[in-house]
Amino acid sequence: MGARSHPHAAAASAAIPVAESAHRAALASEFARELEEVGGVFLGILTPSEVTNRIVSLAGEIGAKSVAFGKGVVTDMDAIGEALERADFRIVRTVPVADTERGAMRERVANAELGIAEADFAIASTGTLAVVSNGDRPSALTLLPPATLAIVQIDRVKANLAAVLAELGPDGVAANRLTLITGPSRTADIEKRIVLGVHGPKSIYVAVVWPRDD
Amino acid sequence: MAEIPKARDFFESSRAAVGDHELRRKLESASARHLDHFAKVKAEFPAYDDERDAACRIKTGAIAHLDELLIELTSKLEARGCKVFFAEDAAAARDYIVELARAKGAKNAVKGKSMTTEEIELNGALARAGIDAVETDLGEYIVQLRGERPSHIITPAIHLSKEEIGQLFTDQFGVEYTAEPEEITAEARSRLRAIFLAADFGVTGVNFAIAETGTIVIVENEGNGRLSSTMPETFVALMGIEKVIPRLEDLSHFLEILARTATGQKITSYTSLITGPRREGELDGPGEMHVVIIDNGRSSMIADPVLREALNCIRCGACLNVCPIYRRIGGHAYRSVYPGPIGSIVSPNLFGAGAGYLPFASTLCGACKDICPVKIDIPRILLHLRWKESAGEHPLRWPRAIERARRGARRFARMARYPRTVRALGKFAAMWLKPLAHNGYLRRMPGPFGNWTKYRDFPRPRPRRRPAPAPERPAG
Repeated sequence: MGARSHPHAAAASAAIPVAESAHRAALASEFARELEEVGGVFLGILTPSEVTNRIVSLAGEIGAKSVAFGKGVVTDMDAIGEALERADFRIVRTVPVADTERGAMRERVANAELGIAEADFAIASTGTLAVVSNGDRPSALTLLPPATLAIVQIDRVKANLAAVLAELGPDGVAANRLTLITGPSRTADIEKRIVLGVHGPKSIYVAVVWPRDD
Repeated sequence: MAEIPKARDFFESSRAAVGDHELRRKLESASARHLDHFAKVKAEFPAYDDERDAACRIKTGAIAHLDELLIELTSKLEARGCKVFFAEDAAAARDYIVELARAKGAKNAVKGKSMTTEEIELNGALARAGIDAVETDLGEYIVQLRGERPSHIITPAIHLSKEEIGQLFTDQFGVEYTAEPEEITAEARSRLRAIFLAADFGVTGVNFAIAETGTIVIVENEGNGRLSSTMPETFVALMGIEKVIPRLEDLSHFLEILARTATGQKITSYTSLITGPRREGELDGPGEMHVVIIDNGRSSMIADPVLREALNCIRCGACLNVCPIYRRIGGHAYRSVYPGPIGSIVSPNLFGAGAGYLPFASTLCGACKDICPVKIDIPRILLHLRWKESAGEHPLRWPRAIERARRGARRFARMARYPRTVRALGKFAAMWLKPLAHNGYLRRMPGPFGNWTKYRDFPRPRPRRRPAPAPERPAG
């Protein structure tokens, strides 16, 4: 899809050309449908400030006391952290740890009721999140707490897995651990009946961020 | 004879399994459900056949260049800080892993689901070394608590009902009885979570290894593979030599088909791409990562141009679900780690001539070939193995009835070279058997032919009115 200019584009400086945004909206809605099909919850296409508010209200709705989060890819997670703190949630900020602090940090992440992570990409065709982990954004955030909340920028919602792997490239994949997450942790090991949350999170919420604040 | 043939055991266990109606019900319902899901996701994905072609082409190419790819993979893994060990056979892999665990002073090992660790019988070896190895995939955990082996390569506890599993938890842990899968799973989660947090040694299998980047790929639904590969300080990934694929871009073709055929999902809940141990400052990942690459008979399969194709297998388990034999006897009756159609091919090659009876446990109906996501011609390979078995140095010792039938068939083959004799004997048999027939069928035949009519009727031979002229025997 080309970046064709809309007649009114010049008026609003941050506006996105229409053809492109229609394409993005279509991918985001396909992603939303697939995410819900695998048992995830789509929080909507939100502006950054709406995302912050939604996270605070969701943490309350699920009865969280402690919320863990790391650094964002492009999202300012500090603003989210401050809002959570103002609303009296205990926050666990994952920062690079020394070997001696590892156990304690893991414990704190595991004891949080909600883990927040920004996904590097989302895959529309399967409702999948692609999350690269590193010192600031450990994989534990989307694994240990019983609920995961993921944020993804709308321009990072791609059509399929091949597109995401191409975007990351061999170097991007080799640099860190990459986890593809599709819905909650699940098993069908007992009489093929699907049960969620067997080892990982039982619920997963995703907010797509539209990069403008009106 | 070096190996002890187990054909007789197989006959016994399969006969018992066929009579187990409860087992049959469980297998039929699980298989039917799987095939329903598969049909649905396949219909929704028009590119399925293209992806299947691509996956088949990539695997075939990878197996043809396995030596180069393994060298590339090894150098990339080492460059990323992994330790690589090539194990020629099961014992070498087992010894390496046990020795490593010992050297690290490991006490609590956790295992992600891996058929290859079953292949090398790692759990027993770790236990003998005083290391407690806990299976963490829910199905494997259940099967381990029962002291059994998995009966399916994707759903290990497929042979158990929820009531049996509920009872197992009550017996083992003294918890209140429940047959609710939700509650049983919650109980397992809390027990296993505690084990994960204390684990110092992790072992998982590998679904794909990318040579280009030195990346290990683990495909799963539960998250126990993620936990096993991130929580313990030492992590071992065990893979067969055939798991390597050349490039990162190849991976999506496999991921697009694997879950669809394995479980009827579009993609599994988790796919981990792990490149090396944890980096400085990271919370997750092992301090040390080992990749054990095992041959154990696989390279001898490559040497055989017909068998080689079987190494394309990505262990989706779909061939089990469609197989009329598997659906009647279940996984345990095969008496091999790898059951079902693909198991009947790989087992004799990985575990030796003792499993040589397995290629005969097939109706050659071809359902496995049709569903195989990497298009392995399983019936053709089974026939090839049957031929190899019969022509081999140590042919199987079959149960007496079958041996007699085979001798009879050989005698008939010799006799059939003389058409006049065959015709005369036919006429004689038709006359002799006429009074024994009911409605044109014989329910019981006399003498050595009785084995045939034990399980089925035999149409009464009738003399032809106008015998066709005997064809000229070709010269030479």
